[in-house]
Amino acid sequence: MSIAAPQGAPAAAPVPPEPGPLPVNYLNNGHSIWSWLFTVDHKRIGILYLVSISIFFVAGGIAAGIVRLNLLQSDGAIVSEDAYNRAFTAHGVMMLFFFLIPAVPAVFGNFFIPMMIGTKDLAFPKLNLASWYVFMLGAALAIWSVLVGGIDTGWTLYPPYSTRASQSNVIPGVLGVFISGFSSIMTGLNIMVTIHKMRAPGMTWSRLPLFVWSLYATSLIQLLATPVVAITLVLLMVERAWGVGIFDPSLGGDPLLFQHMFWFYSHPAVYIMILPGMGVISEVLTCFSRKNIFGYHAVAWSSMGIAVVGFLLWAHHMFVAGISFYAALLFSLLSMLVAVPSAIKVFNWTATLYRGSISFQAPMLFSIGFVVLFIIGGLTGLYLATLGTDIHLHDTYFVVAHFHFVMVGGMVMGYFAGLHYWWPKMTGRMYSDFWSRFAACVIVVGFFFTFIPQFVIGYHGMPRRYPNYPQEFQFFNVMSTAGAGVLGVGYLMPAVYLTLSLINGKRATANPWSATGLEWVSQSPPPIFNFDESKMPVVVCGPYEYSLGVDQMGRTLPDAPTGAPAELHEGTAADGHGPTSPAKQES
Amino acid sequence: MADPTPTPGATNDDPHGIRKDLDKPGQLVVVFLAVLGLALVNIFGSTAMGPGKFTLPFQLAVGSAQATLVGYHFMHLKNGDKVVLLTALSSIFWMGILFVLFLGDYMTRHMIVD
Repeated sequence: MSIAAPQGAPAAAPVPPEPGPLPVNYLNNGHSIWSWLFTVDHKRIGILYLVSISIFFVAGGIAAGIVRLNLLQSDGAIVSEDAYNRAFTAHGVMMLFFFLIPAVPAVFGNFFIPMMIGTKDLAFPKLNLASWYVFMLGAALAIWSVLVGGIDTGWTLYPPYSTRASQSNVIPGVLGVFISGFSSIMTGLNIMVTIHKMRAPGMTWSRLPLFVWSLYATSLIQLLATPVVAITLVLLMVERAWGVGIFDPSLGGDPLLFQHMFWFYSHPAVYIMILPGMGVISEVLTCFSRKNIFGYHAVAWSSMGIAVVGFLLWAHHMFVAGISFYAALLFSLLSMLVAVPSAIKVFNWTATLYRGSISFQAPMLFSIGFVVLFIIGGLTGLYLATLGTDIHLHDTYFVVAHFHFVMVGGMVMGYFAGLHYWWPKMTGRMYSDFWSRFAACVIVVGFFFTFIPQFVIGYHGMPRRYPNYPQEFQFFNVMSTAGAGVLGVGYLMPAVYLTLSLINGKRATANPWSATGLEWVSQSPPPIFNFDESKMPVVVCGPYEYSLGVDQMGRTLPDAPTGAPAELHEGTAADGHGPTSPAKQES
Repeated sequence: MADPTPTPGATNDDPHGIRKDLDKPGQLVVVFLAVLGLALVNIFGSTAMGPGKFTLPFQLAVGSAQATLVGYHFMHLKNGDKVVLLTALSSIFWMGILFVLFLGDYMTRHMIVD
């Protein structure tokens, strides 16, 4: 990576003036509902996604609450067994297809990829808006199917139950997921083309922020894998609607065919969910440890490695389904491979923190939570990738706990880290420092209480998706439900203080975290085309030159905040930077 | 200011020089009929062969021929530059992963481990 050094010692940032009235930006440029519904501004579309997925997150959370409350008693506390099936399916469908998959790519990817690579918009703005409408159409169908009776198959929709026996709304729900898949493809395509074609002058591949690399890898998976699940879901609907034998053995079909095709998408989809979160963590850890990322190329290529290797190991979900023993051996071996790029990331993050000047603002706390929980989730995955232990642990609460450690402990923490990191840029407002840190702690504590007991009961044989269980498991289930309550409160807290920040939050400067990326060059909130048209960015150095104290344009960074609320929005020039520093570029 | 550089292949009738890349309707119909014909060959050929040892390779071969026709003509790989061809070949390799690992299960499922 080439770097640029400022000539001479960087001058101290001048005393900031009081912020004046908000200049024209993407938020105040049109207030009508139509200005939002017909916008092609990538930032507004990102906000549309943010609002949408927040609603689906709440809906999925309510379904999870029903599941956990029902498990307070060994014979089911609040709902019938049939309703229980529908509740955990609604939880899975909502959270996976309508929250986790679009969360970071569609919200932060939409909003920040053009800004981070120094361009005005995504490559296909109208396609971008279309992707949101397609997503909402799919979500509306799926929600309708839940509201008019629900689906009872589990989010994996395994036939022949889903095609032959289920008396629930399988087809509308599946159709909703099928339609929303096109939104995912559109977003992935848009991001990929934008990264290839629209980078600012000087923004070479080795100077791309790691968040951009992670979104590039994510887009690759979205483009390649999503069509496979789309075809699979169509076949499922065809069999259910017209009785054509594809998966149902009584009609001459093969249920393992569905599982192969479903997991060929759905295992890589796990990386669609986690890779963007990893990108966020790379941004936040460097910023709040004031250190260049350790092993930039290793972290960047490990994202691509995860994207590629992620396609080779889907059948570890099928070890006890009746696949060939030799295939199971092969998939067990291949499943171990993905630990390599994942570990590369964790080791490099840890090395980045080593001897860093660490401050513990909310984004950093969420990121540290991500690393800790992801390590636990990743290591427990090794037990499930190992053929012998998986036979013992398969379809137990051990799997549920592992999955949630990676997806919720990992991805949702990464999402919250990104939300808190970029909130000042997106809204121009600072949120409560105290409450945000407190919320991060509450979420981590609640998370441990929710899911550690599930490892225990899973190891001891409690199957997942069962509404009833032996009496000896009640203690752990009650503990898990209590933890889920704490977790729920933790998730509600950001909703409150972030909303309040829009009303009475202090004005954010352009660069409140003293970060190096191009997204911090423009004002907060950004102008309509992201940058002052007369000063489009020219990149002269790598993305994390914290040791030199310069941003990607070679300008001196403002003083880093220490966490005191006053310092979070003051102490920098109005544009968020010290005086421009002439940069010397090394080849 | 207008770009003084003429587009390669541009004529008065074709100012952007793209007409030479367009398919003739007759050509499209022929390719379409060929794809349909191969589908019929696949169906009736498989029926005639029954569930034998060579049925699956036969079906995959015919399907591959159909996919090649669609890719080459309808998806314009015949006019694609190197990046497009590389993308197409990568996609085939990626599909190969799906088929090879997938068939790895199917073709060894009957093998019993002592």
